[in-house]
Amino acid sequence: MREWKQSRPGAKVIAYFPVYAPVELIHAAGMLPVSLYGAGDRLDIQHADARFGSFICSIVKTTLEMGLTGHLEPFDGFLFSTICDSARNLCFVMRRNLPAMYVDFLRLPHNPSSPAAALFLAEEYRRILFELERLGACKVHDDAVRHSITVYNHHRALIRKLYEVRTRYPEKVSTGELYQLIRAGSSLPVEEHTAQLETALAQFCSRSVKKRDSIRIVVEGSFCEQPPLTLIQLIEDAGCYIVDDDFVIGQSWFEGDVPTEGDPLLSLATSYLDRSVYSSVRHDFRKPRWDGLVQKVRRSKADAVLFLIAKFCEPAYFDYVPYKQELERAGIPHLQLEFEEKSFTFDRLRTEIETFVESLIFD
Amino acid sequence: MRIAAGVDVGSTQTKAVVVSDNGGVKVLARALVDTGANVQRAAERAFDMCCHEAGIHSGDVGFVVGTGYGRYKIAFGNTQMTEITCHAKGASFLCPGTRTVIDMGGQDSKAISVGANGEVLDFVMNDKCAAGTGRFLANSAEVMSISLDEVGPLSLKAKHPVKIATVCTVFVESDILSYLAQGKTAEDILGGVHIAIAKRTLSLARRLNIEPEIAMTGGVARNVGMVWALEEVLGRKMLVSPDAQFIGAVGAALFALEKLDQSFESGIWRGDHAVSGGH
Amino acid sequence: MTEKKEYRGSIHQWQKDLMLAWYEQLDQAADTGSPATVSMMISGNCVELLEGFGAVPLYPEVNALQLAIRHQSLDPILAAEDLGYATDNCAYVKADVGCIVKGITPTGGKLPTPTLILCNFVGCNTYLKWFEHLAKLQQAPLYVIDVPFMRANEPSRSDLEYVIKQLQETVKKLEQLTGSKFDYDRFRQAVACSSRTEELWSRIKHLARRSPSPFDAYFDAITLMGPLYVYRARPEGVEFFEAALAELQAKADAHKGVYEQEHFRLVMEGPPPYPYFRTFRDMFAKWQACAVASTYSTVGGLWEFGFRHDPDNPFESVAMHMIAQNVTNRNFLQRYEQIRRYIEEWNADGLIIHFVKSCRLFSAGQGDMRDYFTKQLGVPTLYIESDLEDPRYFAEAQTKNRIDAFFEALEHSKTATPVREET
Repeated sequence: MREWKQSRPGAKVIAYFPVYAPVELIHAAGMLPVSLYGAGDRLDIQHADARFGSFICSIVKTTLEMGLTGHLEPFDGFLFSTICDSARNLCFVMRRNLPAMYVDFLRLPHNPSSPAAALFLAEEYRRILFELERLGACKVHDDAVRHSITVYNHHRALIRKLYEVRTRYPEKVSTGELYQLIRAGSSLPVEEHTAQLETALAQFCSRSVKKRDSIRIVVEGSFCEQPPLTLIQLIEDAGCYIVDDDFVIGQSWFEGDVPTEGDPLLSLATSYLDRSVYSSVRHDFRKPRWDGLVQKVRRSKADAVLFLIAKFCEPAYFDYVPYKQELERAGIPHLQLEFEEKSFTFDRLRTEIETFVESLIFD
Repeated sequence: MRIAAGVDVGSTQTKAVVVSDNGGVKVLARALVDTGANVQRAAERAFDMCCHEAGIHSGDVGFVVGTGYGRYKIAFGNTQMTEITCHAKGASFLCPGTRTVIDMGGQDSKAISVGANGEVLDFVMNDKCAAGTGRFLANSAEVMSISLDEVGPLSLKAKHPVKIATVCTVFVESDILSYLAQGKTAEDILGGVHIAIAKRTLSLARRLNIEPEIAMTGGVARNVGMVWALEEVLGRKMLVSPDAQFIGAVGAALFALEKLDQSFESGIWRGDHAVSGGH
Repeated sequence: MTEKKEYRGSIHQWQKDLMLAWYEQLDQAADTGSPATVSMMISGNCVELLEGFGAVPLYPEVNALQLAIRHQSLDPILAAEDLGYATDNCAYVKADVGCIVKGITPTGGKLPTPTLILCNFVGCNTYLKWFEHLAKLQQAPLYVIDVPFMRANEPSRSDLEYVIKQLQETVKKLEQLTGSKFDYDRFRQAVACSSRTEELWSRIKHLARRSPSPFDAYFDAITLMGPLYVYRARPEGVEFFEAALAELQAKADAHKGVYEQEHFRLVMEGPPPYPYFRTFRDMFAKWQACAVASTYSTVGGLWEFGFRHDPDNPFESVAMHMIAQNVTNRNFLQRYEQIRRYIEEWNADGLIIHFVKSCRLFSAGQGDMRDYFTKQLGVPTLYIESDLEDPRYFAEAQTKNRIDAFFEALEHSKTATPVREET
């Protein structure tokens, strides 16, 4: 990232807290959007614990830790949004402790049923764009935003295709591999990542691998703090094909292309409201997200659901209840596990997953 | 000569200290017993032992301050103060220049910001779980079938300390077993455990302004491995008094001495009869 | 034992009667379907709007806290955990869901299925989930008023317009559901009532600036919050607060404080441990420490700094209240500012930060708050931890220990410094 900055003097990097962010706006302003998934297991929490107590998820603390220890120095801005209470408070604690950085909070609407919501969100985007223009001392025209939308549409379409390939032919691409491929995009320029995805897609399709006798599962609940890669691999090694998941869901938030006709900010807004995937951090009381989960399971022809929830993740814990109820009604088996981004031993989790797989095989 | 005493009833051990002021404050004696189930009895025993050590009668003691979690059960105490206040006072006296106290006891750990006169400016406590306490170390020792006295010295011999992510006493046991199964040495595992505890304790302490001198108190201060690990993470040496375990009782005794100055009925009631006069 | 002079004037009984009357109305609604009832959140609630339909508010939070105070919260919480709620989910939600599932109510009377579940989302993401779950459980219609979070110090014009439009949509929705037309005049009168109640409440809050304060602005204020949220927009509410102000004014004029001697003046941050309300209070009473201000008593509305509903601009002022004038929808740094003002203007000796496990909105980041007040402002601050609803998370001895240590130190510093001039 420092390289990227060096090769473009004056260019800015804007971090965003996962899940969804209007990366098109950042891109259109000539800046690099980077999704920060905390420090994983690479940073000890030495200072952030003093600010955020117990019962708070690790990603909030490691993100703050990075801020307090100077690791966020290459970033010029940080964008938060309305995903949960802990993350929101983090935004303002960061503002206090990193006064030189542009730290903003995007209010995503929770009432998509209101016609006023689209206008409100477009206005929010306009405001953020204005701040980015100020930060970058540039002017961003509608056409630039339309162009960025096109670029990201293509990027998202590739991710959807890759996911489809994995769903239909999970033997050809392991989730461990797919995950690393997609997650790498969180800190790369989108053009570079798109090229990587195109290469990978061609490669995956051309593979011919023997199919194993594995259970097809959907993994749900890891939309923000990410499980260690070792854990993902462990799940597959225990006899599962992960045929769909919500890892790094922020990268493929929209269900189709965002239209580029007309006001691009309004277009982004209506896409968020009406054409985005369901998630524990998006609220639309017109369409219960538990129906979304059941549909996802059926669409991907999965055998079961594994709830992989970050410890202390409040939205995921809450949604687990109606998700569980609907899965039981639909007769879909499921297992709930907790993880922390910082884990070094996985014996307990391995045992639980293996037991679950066995119970499904020997039904 | 004025004589006063402090009794610190901890969850695992009860300490008593007698001090005198005869033109200069001195610690006359100290005593330590296991607390056991009967807090009242433990307090009495420690106090009696201490008086015996000092070569005085219990009636010679003009004022007794009780502290520790069992402080309300000390029937012969004249008043009680929290161990936070007493630790600050005691550390200031035994380790001159103390501005920060890091106390790691049997069941809780705390950090205290101390003023020039031993007064408490601020404090933080971990009193809701065993992380960073003697209990954590005792559990780890048990899981590894090593005696508690050995864990410290062994940890100093670590070549490649393992990474411990959790400081939950329950979960760390399975981590330790995992590492043992992987063939890691006891030294490396203990090294990792000590460092993890040190980091966690200092993480708590950072809620305060950690200012030198930093004194370490409490039972865990006798663990050379823990002292080393804390100094490593802190990046500086700490003051560790040989009386680290008694600091609470010393502080209580010093407060008792102060109270003796103020007009007060001096006399100790044990059970239901006065042992000495003075009213 | 230090004498505990609690606030137990005639107001105390009156407040109880008002709350019982409210529960009776709800019981009646459960039987007859009338009046219409609307579930709402306390924070930034728009009870004025309901008056336009003669509808009665249902406050799941009030049910939850009533249960906790009566030591009845554990059973429903366990029932909810059986359903799959996590130990780390907000215990308010668990208690409420558990009650519905087990058919428990705080008074033993019936609670109706609401005509509308109105989620006034003011910053608390848990509210959204809670009400989604209630809608599923109770099979009642749900509408979410999305109130934009205060990311800056003032709301924008577009924030206000967005909320006003949604309030108008809510009106349409209620017209559909109740079959009655919205009575705009009644609504305006309700807003006028609120404005008067708020003036009285604000004056009561300002009485605590006196030394001694005639009431405890945490424990006693919480008791007064019930009528504030249920009856704010009704004449009964105005009457009640007129009497409350008169009673407290008389106490203040007679220099009567909560304790024999007001030894310490405190600002309290965070909700109380409801299952241990009395025990917790005693820990402060021991030291004759009186709260002169609290953030929790401003969840429903922040009125001591001058805001009032405006009957000439009813929709706009209701929107303004929901967006900017309640502690829940205000950002974390604004809360620091609110507390700082309390410490200075209400002349407090220290700050108590009560971290509650259930509520991340209040608690996430309170360590940073502590850092600000101790290191930046030099305000004596105590940090304690428990929960607001779940009785399993209160460590009495440890909490008492921390409180005692704090006051020992505060006492020491008081005797070491010249006595502060009393007003």
